[in-house]
Amino acid sequence: MFKYLLAKNEDIPAGSAAVFFGFSSIIWFVIGTGLGSFNAAKLAFPDFVTGNIYFAFGHMRQVHVMAVIFGWISMAFAMAMMYITPALGNSKLWSEKLGLWNCLFWNVGLALGLTVLWAGITSGREYSDFPWPIDLYLAVFVFIPLATNVWMTVLTRKTQGIYTTNWFFIAAVFMVIIVFLVGNSPEFFHLTGLTEAYLTWWFAHNVLGLWITPVAAAIAYYTVPKVTGNPLYSHRIGHLHFWSVVVFYSTPAAHHLMSAPLPEWLKSFASVEGVLILVPAIAFVSNIMLTMRGKWYMFVENIEIRFTITGCLMAIPLNMQGGFQQTRAINWYIHGTGWIVAHAHLALLGFSTFLEGAAVYLGLQTIMRRKLYSLTLANLHFWMLLIGFTIYWVSMTIAGLIQGAGKIYEVPYIDVVIAEHPYMIARWIGGTLVFVGNILWLYNMWMTARVGTVVPAGRMPHELSYER
Amino acid sequence: MSWNFDRPLVTLCDASTNEADKVLWEKEDLGGITEDNNRMPVPVVLLVVLTVLTAFAVTFPLWGQRPTAALYAGYVKSMDLPEVQAIQDDTAAMAKIIQLNVGKGDDAKLERHPLGMNDLRIIKPQIEALVAKGVNLEEYTVVGDLIVNANFEGNKKADVTPERIQPWWDKGYTIDIFYVIYFFLMVIILIKRLPPSTWQPRHNH
Repeated sequence: MFKYLLAKNEDIPAGSAAVFFGFSSIIWFVIGTGLGSFNAAKLAFPDFVTGNIYFAFGHMRQVHVMAVIFGWISMAFAMAMMYITPALGNSKLWSEKLGLWNCLFWNVGLALGLTVLWAGITSGREYSDFPWPIDLYLAVFVFIPLATNVWMTVLTRKTQGIYTTNWFFIAAVFMVIIVFLVGNSPEFFHLTGLTEAYLTWWFAHNVLGLWITPVAAAIAYYTVPKVTGNPLYSHRIGHLHFWSVVVFYSTPAAHHLMSAPLPEWLKSFASVEGVLILVPAIAFVSNIMLTMRGKWYMFVENIEIRFTITGCLMAIPLNMQGGFQQTRAINWYIHGTGWIVAHAHLALLGFSTFLEGAAVYLGLQTIMRRKLYSLTLANLHFWMLLIGFTIYWVSMTIAGLIQGAGKIYEVPYIDVVIAEHPYMIARWIGGTLVFVGNILWLYNMWMTARVGTVVPAGRMPHELSYER
Repeated sequence: MSWNFDRPLVTLCDASTNEADKVLWEKEDLGGITEDNNRMPVPVVLLVVLTVLTAFAVTFPLWGQRPTAALYAGYVKSMDLPEVQAIQDDTAAMAKIIQLNVGKGDDAKLERHPLGMNDLRIIKPQIEALVAKGVNLEEYTVVGDLIVNANFEGNKKADVTPERIQPWWDKGYTIDIFYVIYFFLMVIILIKRLPPSTWQPRHNH
């Protein structure tokens, strides 16, 4: 891959950037979930690895979070954009070379950012933990080049129309730049107090709402029609979905701060908008489910569809939780508890991971023109991910309810810690299953690249039968 | 861009624009992906309407807000009663205070925001100071161990400053109402610019 960095753009094989991003994303997923498993072990077994500050939970937690968000999820998105955007425009990626450099700078910047976080150099702001030089680096060397490549690919497309997936891609790469620059402004301009708190959660909310959620959904809009061969059920519902994400997901940041001394009218506004997040969810789930008509057997037989539909189904509990847990009536109970941790994992490890997992499976096979090395390993990966995630989500939800009760009824803290201990062990088991599953995935994709059956031109990988 | 308002619920485009759109829709190959022109299914429309109604309904009474100082005024008053002061055990004293105040205030809110004697001892002097000043306790909220001016912006008082009490017309809801109306109007216009949903593209033609 590195040999193409200095090659002429026209000499670089199509899809090189996507392959680079695809494998990078899986490696970061292994690292991120490995760190998650390690951190969970520290919560389950307090005597596990003590005496070294660099392995203290406070040093490690944000390294896990940022590795997963900006390594696994965002790089899988970049991978999807590198091959889906040109495919939908019947064209080539505007610049494979820019894509390759983009991926290299991304890996270097992320490694640097995680290293300084690990060393304890942090902004101290959740989800925007990187210190401001790293934030600027990510904006300039990661998101702006990515956006340039996506926009230019769409501008140089060979079709008149732009398919739904590309609406989301074009908008999301724009929005993530704005979110990054505005959301980190407390660090650039030394904003403090309530302004800092609000902008911190404005960033955290919108990196989920205007980057992760729409891009994950956009991938499903591609994967399901492409693999099933069915037309997307409704272009109209696509409009409702896209615009309701832009309008309703961008506004409720204040609902993360329902107990803060923000103006109450702002909380009321944000709370209503928070429930309205269900509008894009309804549009998305119904459109994808209806697109599956007549092809539901593929949910069982096809690994990409199984990943996609599982992720899509997870959008239902995700948005039911997200819509209502932020209302004052529920937030006072679950705020600051493990419930929120469970919800965050439902969004990132459930909904989003399953959707982009499908994109990486499909994309790597399609671009490398190699059939998946082992369906058994892929099935094992799917079930380890699903079972591991479910154990995690259920145990942390229960732990959160216990913590909520402890908080409201002023139960002594140590009693709450003792009561939730079994769920912390379950959390570690679930997280470790996910981690081990991802190692299998990395092996499977590596072997696919090396010895996967060649897919003839003009055929889709899933159209070939498995040989092993 | 041509408009046609003869049948606004069917299409907002004139016939020639619709025909051009149909031709493009059927002809164009978007990386091997096609799209249908199905209308929004009725259950989806109903779910969206239900969501909008629920969004306002579930937040309108402003459930789950911080307790006001007024909520605990009865408790604070009861602390000085001889029958309460005679009880040495804090838990029993608190139970007595709760019992004395049942039916006198907002029982449901008091149940959602329980206090102990230590909490009451902290807020008692603050509430008594506010009562002595003659201010409206509804304008103050209890935040941990502090009683502070509530951050509501309600109706204007005679001196033009806003009441710190939640009004029935919250400014946030007012913005929401207009925001939601603008959104649905724009999406409906956008969708009605497409060919009528009675037409479906014939793929691969």
